[in-house]
Amino acid sequence: MPTSRLFVAFALVLSLLAPSVAAALSKAELVEILKVVDERQRNQGDWRSLVYMEQKEKDKVDVAYEALVFRRSQDQRFIILFTKPKASQGQGYLRIDKNLWFYDPSVGKWERKTERERIGGTNSRRSDFDESRLAEEYGPEDLGQEKLGAYTAQVMKLTGKPNIDLAFPVIKLWVDKETKNVLKRQEFALSGRLLRTSYYPRWKKTYSESKKTDVYYPEEMRFYDEVEKANSTFILVKSVDMHPLEQNLFTKAWLESKSR
Amino acid sequence: MGFLLDLRIAFRSLFQHSRRTFFLASAIAGVTALLILLNALSTGVSETMIRAATTLSTGHVNVGGFFKVTSSAGGPIVTDYQKVIDAVKKSVPEMESMVHRGRGWAKIISDLGSTQAGITGLDIKNEPGFRKVIELKSGRLEDLAEPNTMMVFESQVERLKVKVGDAVTLSAQTTRGAANTIDCRIVAIAKDMGLMSKFGVFVPVETTRALYQLRSDTTGAIHIYLKPKFIPDVTAIAARLRGQLEKLGWAVMDADPNPFWMKFQTVAREDWTGQKLDVTTWEDEVSFITWTLTVLKGLTAVLLTILIAIVVTGIMNTMWIAIRERTREIGTLRAIGMQRGGVLRMFLYESLLLGLIGTGTGALAGAGLGAAINAARIHVPLSVQLFLMSDRVQLALHGGGLVRAALFITLVTTLAALYPAYRAARLKPVSAMSHFG
Repeated sequence: MPTSRLFVAFALVLSLLAPSVAAALSKAELVEILKVVDERQRNQGDWRSLVYMEQKEKDKVDVAYEALVFRRSQDQRFIILFTKPKASQGQGYLRIDKNLWFYDPSVGKWERKTERERIGGTNSRRSDFDESRLAEEYGPEDLGQEKLGAYTAQVMKLTGKPNIDLAFPVIKLWVDKETKNVLKRQEFALSGRLLRTSYYPRWKKTYSESKKTDVYYPEEMRFYDEVEKANSTFILVKSVDMHPLEQNLFTKAWLESKSR
Repeated sequence: MGFLLDLRIAFRSLFQHSRRTFFLASAIAGVTALLILLNALSTGVSETMIRAATTLSTGHVNVGGFFKVTSSAGGPIVTDYQKVIDAVKKSVPEMESMVHRGRGWAKIISDLGSTQAGITGLDIKNEPGFRKVIELKSGRLEDLAEPNTMMVFESQVERLKVKVGDAVTLSAQTTRGAANTIDCRIVAIAKDMGLMSKFGVFVPVETTRALYQLRSDTTGAIHIYLKPKFIPDVTAIAARLRGQLEKLGWAVMDADPNPFWMKFQTVAREDWTGQKLDVTTWEDEVSFITWTLTVLKGLTAVLLTILIAIVVTGIMNTMWIAIRERTREIGTLRAIGMQRGGVLRMFLYESLLLGLIGTGTGALAGAGLGAAINAARIHVPLSVQLFLMSDRVQLALHGGGLVRAALFITLVTTLAALYPAYRAARLKPVSAMSHFG
């Protein structure tokens, strides 16, 4: 083969390889993407929203819940207060000092829970309702790009950092390359067992006075149980309000008072 | 010389009545083999129980106890345990080694199931005995040194449907009655060790402290392992240690031969607060299952008594027949100078030889069968595991036990012939020689 032809062939191979080489992102670049994902969802202030949850389980009647979610970015405080159905009314989760507490008014007792706790028995976790802290809690690894319907997604594997209480130790994450909205997640156990697949089909934005810019949040979340295949949870986030909340709201006393 | 002659006559007589000898020796061999197998089974159960118990839940002697925050709320805790360890070191010179472990009871919740289990917190780096006994199916025992990790047994895996790397949540009440949970990662799955392994999991001792919100100077119990020759003296050693701890100023609970988890209600009823130590033996801690061993030993004794009675009757009957058949021979032997003692010995030797042949064959057959059963590693269902203390049939075949069983049956068969032989020796030569029949 003449040298000129060899050169052309080599150039052709290089040009074919070029896009994939360009697509491989360094860890630092992935962390930057995660920081953007987190930052878009952070409101740097207080948060109040109304949440509807629908739990579908095999051979069981579907159950719908209504709950109020309160958050405070400053010290990562968090409350979920169930308002419907009647059986769950007054039950709630309170996160203070990085400890998650569950209160059941029927027994009048507090239980300390971990982030693996299924909120209200659904397949949702507390972190699903909180601000995103992926860059802080996980280390990323590039898995390339993928088409997810009409979207081009940056796919990455996130591994939980040690000594942080996490709902899932390993996550495969699909982030919209353009908007940096999370499109899909697959959550795994350390053994590699797939536990849950989550979809975020609808994102919304609301202006935050405290942040002085828009805050993005998933208005709809769909969680599919990969262990009990027939089970799924559908979450709808409504009535988002980011005005300051009362100071003594994130206390056990406040949550207890809601069931009296 | 006389002895050899008597022996030769006895041997020839046995040889002459080969069919009768064969059936009797077979019966003796059968009983001997059965005795060996039943003994091996109860010894095997006993050994498995001690091995499992002293690995999983107890030392030979334990210093546990309860700490009560109020008169009704408390937990199985030893506070300031280092001081107790120092006292034990001085008080128990028979000690070979010692470990301390956290104790608790919690609900374990996985993604696919849940179960209740005893939680034992250990420091895997200081548990060389544990490593020797536990047989892993998957994972690494060394990883149990990391916080919030857990080792489970195969049968628990069936209920929780977990594998190494999966997370489970432990849920329990602290000593003050607050509900607490903690996440643990499965790092090792061990093969079952009988019934006891179905109720317990192992976590690092720090994890039990975190679950029950305890200080770092607390533990659940101090397990004392004795030098083998002192193991039979556990009760006396425990009593002595109880007295010495009392002398050193600790409040000590009265001896109660029950495991610690059976004492919660009794302790909660008592009107005291603070720390009380409880000294127990391994037998106390597994008393809820040792009844199976008693039942097994009882059944063995009843069965063997019946079988031995049948064999003794058979031998006596055979001897009566032999004496009747050989009355003229006895008369002739007596007439040519054999003394009464000689006749007695002749029949006793015959029975002794028969016993030796039978028990020898039986011992070999029993040992062979036992070895074959062990080699086959026969898995038994859960209901049988309750009795066997193992998920497999495990027979303990020891040389000493074989010899003892063979000698015991030989002695019994020889003694069975004593009365017929005595009656034969009492026969008068003249009437014996003129006997027809």
